[in-house]
Amino acid sequence: MQPLTEEERKRAFAATRKPEAIRKQRLPVRYHVEDFEVADRPRRFLEAFAAILKHTNYRLALDHYMRVTAKCSRCSVKCQVYVATGDTNDIPCHRSELLLSVYRRHFTVSGVLRGRILGDPGLTDERIQEMADSFYNCTACRRCHFECPMGIDHALITHLGRYILSEIGIVPRALAVSVREQLTGATGNTSAVPVAALKDGLEFLSEEMQEDKGIDIPFPIDQDGAEYLFLPAVSDFLMEGETLMGNAAVFRATGDKWTIGTGYFDGINYGLFYSDHILEQVLQKIRAEAERLQVSKILIGECGHASRSAKFFYPTFCGGKEALPVVNIMEYTHRAWKEGRLKLKPDAISETVTYHDPCNLARSGWVVEQPRELLKAFCTNYVEMTPNRQDNICCGGGGGTVSMDELRPYRTLVGGRMKADQIRATGAKYCVAPCANCKKQLRELVEEHAIDCQIVGLHDLLYKAIIFDSSVPGE
Amino acid sequence: MQAWIEFGRGPLFRLAFCLMVLGLLRVVVLTIVGIAEAYRRNSDRIVPWKAIARQTLGWLVPVRRLLGGRPVYSVTSFLFHVGLLAVPLFLAAHVRLWRGAVGFAWPALPQRPADYFTLLAIAAGAGLICGRVFHRGARALSRLQDYIWPPLLLAPFVTGYVCAHAALGPKVYQEMMLVHIYAADLIMLTIPFTKIAHCVLAPFSQAVTAVAWKFVPGAGQEVAATLGYAGLPIWVANSRSAPAAGDKKEALVK
Repeated sequence: MQPLTEEERKRAFAATRKPEAIRKQRLPVRYHVEDFEVADRPRRFLEAFAAILKHTNYRLALDHYMRVTAKCSRCSVKCQVYVATGDTNDIPCHRSELLLSVYRRHFTVSGVLRGRILGDPGLTDERIQEMADSFYNCTACRRCHFECPMGIDHALITHLGRYILSEIGIVPRALAVSVREQLTGATGNTSAVPVAALKDGLEFLSEEMQEDKGIDIPFPIDQDGAEYLFLPAVSDFLMEGETLMGNAAVFRATGDKWTIGTGYFDGINYGLFYSDHILEQVLQKIRAEAERLQVSKILIGECGHASRSAKFFYPTFCGGKEALPVVNIMEYTHRAWKEGRLKLKPDAISETVTYHDPCNLARSGWVVEQPRELLKAFCTNYVEMTPNRQDNICCGGGGGTVSMDELRPYRTLVGGRMKADQIRATGAKYCVAPCANCKKQLRELVEEHAIDCQIVGLHDLLYKAIIFDSSVPGE
Repeated sequence: MQAWIEFGRGPLFRLAFCLMVLGLLRVVVLTIVGIAEAYRRNSDRIVPWKAIARQTLGWLVPVRRLLGGRPVYSVTSFLFHVGLLAVPLFLAAHVRLWRGAVGFAWPALPQRPADYFTLLAIAAGAGLICGRVFHRGARALSRLQDYIWPPLLLAPFVTGYVCAHAALGPKVYQEMMLVHIYAADLIMLTIPFTKIAHCVLAPFSQAVTAVAWKFVPGAGQEVAATLGYAGLPIWVANSRSAPAAGDKKEALVK
């Protein structure tokens, strides 16, 4: 990988905010933040930290990580941010230490005693600024976790750090505004899509498909008792029509009952990136809609963080083992294909195709082979990028950073630098990235690095390969 | 000097050994209780125990993982650990001491392999120090204890090897033995309070992480209530200049 040139470094780290805003908020970060209470910040940070420790399970991880951390620096090799910047402040272990040292100083007996004896004043405003900057440089991809011989999960610490910061008002504005609309706005979703626009858009896509395939492929809306409640990243309704067409076509072919609910139709959950409280509130909205429509499964579209937040946290917040099962659309499509309910034209795509593993789907080993098997079933020229699967490299826009447009130069020049090389090396015409976040980031990335590769969703391509024959239910 | 040696390998050794065992037992118990407590607070009770076991075993026998990040350092570290465990536990002289003290012991390593393991540990330990000093990332992360530990751990190896092999005068031999014994005692005394506690804690890491990702239902609301903005959206709470009348915060921070 080419090191950052001086010019690139300047662009990646150029100021994005007015000096007055930085002065007023005393926060020299590159993402925009809404105004919040600045006075007495260290005390408020510690109060928020204490409240979180009191009511959650984080203390266990902090105690353990603090005891075992060996500072071996293996994680530095795996961090795409550190590899690009070469700034030792970007080493995952260093980032975690920012918060661990606050914990040690203020929330352990030995730390408090030592602090008193040595006259250490404890948490400073500068440290809070440093954390606010550092925790949003990380894309929360969790690749470093698999490299740590001590088993430390730096992404968990980053998540906690962001949670505490959010409790004192330090949240990237892009995330805060979206969440506000989702939880309290009139439209109830992060992209502020009104129901009327949703219906219009879906109708238009159905007409397109009618023209294309010559059959009626509907988007069922508010179907009581359907098997699946479909929740893509809401931005798909605005920007990823082809992915949605592929999703609908699969259901048309299998004949299973699915529905989009007008009460709530957004899979996005920024809580995963910065707040357990928000995470829970958004999942409760999904639960309410699932109960309203009496569905039996929750189906998340092509989106990494939406899938992970639902799959792994819906049971946590919505009923434990009795909670409705959560399925990712690629899992669903793969199973239907395996069962012979979905037929694909084996040579539908002859151009070179590669697959990008979204971190939130692949890192846990959940959705890894399914998309590959599907792609190989209808692409004649499938190539892997290296490394891949659980060891994939993040697109560079994870952890919510892709939503912050002001970070674009940073994301494309620093965060996605390794990814750009990886995509270029495959020479692929299509890079399949089944995640709304990854798609946006990778499109900006190939544009920045002038790579001739089209970023698409899995169902965009699959749509071209589906065979509708006389055995299609309803024909 | 002989009296000091006797003290070091008699009462002081027993004290250090007991403190080490008790100290490590304490952190293990705390960790297990912590895991159980976190598991109890979480409502879904869905923990991927199999995956945790697989990952834990994968790290305890890290054959496939060594060649990931920093392969040379990782292999060196692995060899260091092999020597570090083999020699103190299985050296014939040590086994004899155990048999004398507690009446039973285990099979010892023959002298020649024991020598090889000793040299391996010394060479690997020196390699680890270099791997820390000459690696930019590791240097930036390192604390004082990270620099102290490798030489401290190597001190008994070097002195032990010299005592066993070099033709030393009785005085030098005694000095060497003194360093050997007191370094070992110091190691045992400090293990539970430093990063070397990973010798018993590392097997719990995967479970700790998995359980810590299990968030507590309702905790967000509780946190809000504790911070005095229950029922208010966070952005409203944060735009207030001072807590509204009637808000009560608990004193949690010392």
